[in-house]
Amino acid sequence: MTDILLILGDTQLMSLFTAAAFIVVGLFAAIFLDNIIKKIIGIAFIEEGANLFIVALGYKAGGVVPIFLPGMSADWFAANSAYPLPQALVLTSIVIGASTLAVMLAISMVLYKKYGTLSASEILGDKKTQTLAEKNAGDNNE
Amino acid sequence: MNEFIPLMVIIPIACALLLNLFHKKDKTVILMGIIVAIVLPIIPLIANYGLHYFGGHAPLITNSTLLSTLPSTIQNSALALFHPAVTYSYGALQKIFIFILGIIAFFAIFNSLSQNKKVSGPLMFLMFMGTAAVTAILLSDDIFHMYIFFEISALTQTGIILTSKTENNYETALKYMILGSIGGPLLLLGIGFVLGAVGSVNITDIVYAISHNLVDPLSPTLLFAFGLIFFGWLYTSGLPPFHTIKSGVYSKALPNASVLLQAFTVIIFIAIGIAIFRIFSYLPFFKTLIVVFSLIAMVLGVTMAIMQTDFRRMIAFLAVGELGYIGLGFGLATKLSITAGLFQAVNELVITALLFIGFGTILYLTKISDTRKLGGMIQHNSIVAIMVLIGGFAMAGVPPLNGFQSKLMIIQASLQSGFPEISIIAILVSIVTFMVFMKAYHSIYLKPKPNDLVGADKLVPRSSIAAIAILLIICIVLGLFPHLVTDNISQFAMGLI
Repeated sequence: MTDILLILGDTQLMSLFTAAAFIVVGLFAAIFLDNIIKKIIGIAFIEEGANLFIVALGYKAGGVVPIFLPGMSADWFAANSAYPLPQALVLTSIVIGASTLAVMLAISMVLYKKYGTLSASEILGDKKTQTLAEKNAGDNNE
Repeated sequence: MNEFIPLMVIIPIACALLLNLFHKKDKTVILMGIIVAIVLPIIPLIANYGLHYFGGHAPLITNSTLLSTLPSTIQNSALALFHPAVTYSYGALQKIFIFILGIIAFFAIFNSLSQNKKVSGPLMFLMFMGTAAVTAILLSDDIFHMYIFFEISALTQTGIILTSKTENNYETALKYMILGSIGGPLLLLGIGFVLGAVGSVNITDIVYAISHNLVDPLSPTLLFAFGLIFFGWLYTSGLPPFHTIKSGVYSKALPNASVLLQAFTVIIFIAIGIAIFRIFSYLPFFKTLIVVFSLIAMVLGVTMAIMQTDFRRMIAFLAVGELGYIGLGFGLATKLSITAGLFQAVNELVITALLFIGFGTILYLTKISDTRKLGGMIQHNSIVAIMVLIGGFAMAGVPPLNGFQSKLMIIQASLQSGFPEISIIAILVSIVTFMVFMKAYHSIYLKPKPNDLVGADKLVPRSSIAAIAILLIICIVLGLFPHLVTDNISQFAMGLI
């Protein structure tokens, strides 16, 4: 019980566990779920898991923000500041991830208008699925 | 002047952004596009070799005044050697590849502009942005920087497919993005593990830390990082198991765009391949793993190519097979093999571009890419047909063309390394490549023209003929004088091992 409380109290460790959980859940959704939007949400989970993992690497318990202010000694700053590189990397990564998600959602909208479904097996599968236009043309012929 | 080094990336990015501003002003877009496309291959020729530190932040060791003001813990540690900013490294290898990329980008952009009545501003934007991203990947000495520009290049590749307006292009784009969005973050995660172990994402720093035992080279963290980065590399390069989606991407783009897409793939393949080699080649199973995946790519590439009836997919699968030869160079890990592999990469860039543009003329004339519905095209333009034939010979490794030289070097390297089996597979794959190409060539050019084939009364665009001719000249020159490239590459290969 004490061990569990210690783990729960460790911010970095908890962040790493959360990141792992995000990635596992995301991978499951992206690979096994059929709905394209759910796949995309799963992909967002994977991306955020990777980002959280990297941010957690730079965490320093009791550390200070890595901005060198007047009055700080260089030795003290070097010993106590959090590591800023992961934060800088993740900022860039978040932007890229957001762009990727936006493009995927936009393509999904187009495909939904074309097929009238968001089923990945129907839209992206090897079997030819009728588009809405083809279905409508078939209905009119009948 | 080392200022030219970042300009190789900045100029195409700036041009791409400006093209957005001048959207719908066709004349301005054409003028700016062509001028910058001409500049792209020129900059690497006039730039001097060297390093470029962004923000001027060189390693602390180079600035003794600044270093003396820092705590002794930093002064006396490896931190003084580490690179605090993104570093671009420009040498002979980068010069060759960026020059070739510039030529291919020029042909792709010029042909797109000259052959389409309506100028596509978004397509131009994507082509320049993709070229900039791939150039940055090649120049960067920072693995995270490579990842970011890889993601940008993946987005531009998706955009190029979307702007091509071919059948089912949206479906292919989404498939590519879903796979990419799983592969990309896993690559990022691998980089995160390296960062966690070493504390830097600069490749030189990582290599220093590992080679000086500042971290345990066989620690589970680094092994796991290798697994993730290797997986990301397979995805970025379209190696098995991602070969089908990559070939789908090529086939859904218009031929001029496919030329650029395949160039992006080859350059990303070698840039990330070199990074992985520099960091992880000490691992005992590294070489075996690379050789195995390369052989799988070679065999699967040609096997899948045999079954294709769409010539764009056929070239795409052949290109996957050719990537296997480059991978073999890395996997055998000798000076000769790496030189051969990188020379093969140069040749593949040129040859595949030639074939995409050459066969692209058929698509331009007939709007058909199914080889079963084509025929008799040699009567239409025999000069183009002959040039495409020689290009196919170059890909299959027929002497004295460039493909022959690089494949011969790979075979020699595998024999020298004590793996005659690999040379036999390489020769067999080369023969099958020849058969696949000749089968498609016969269907398109030599067999009788089908009665229902229409649209073949148009003329082949002069811009395409010029592009094919120049690329063919490069193939012949590199075939006759391979040392023009190999002398420079061999120095790099020596440094790598």
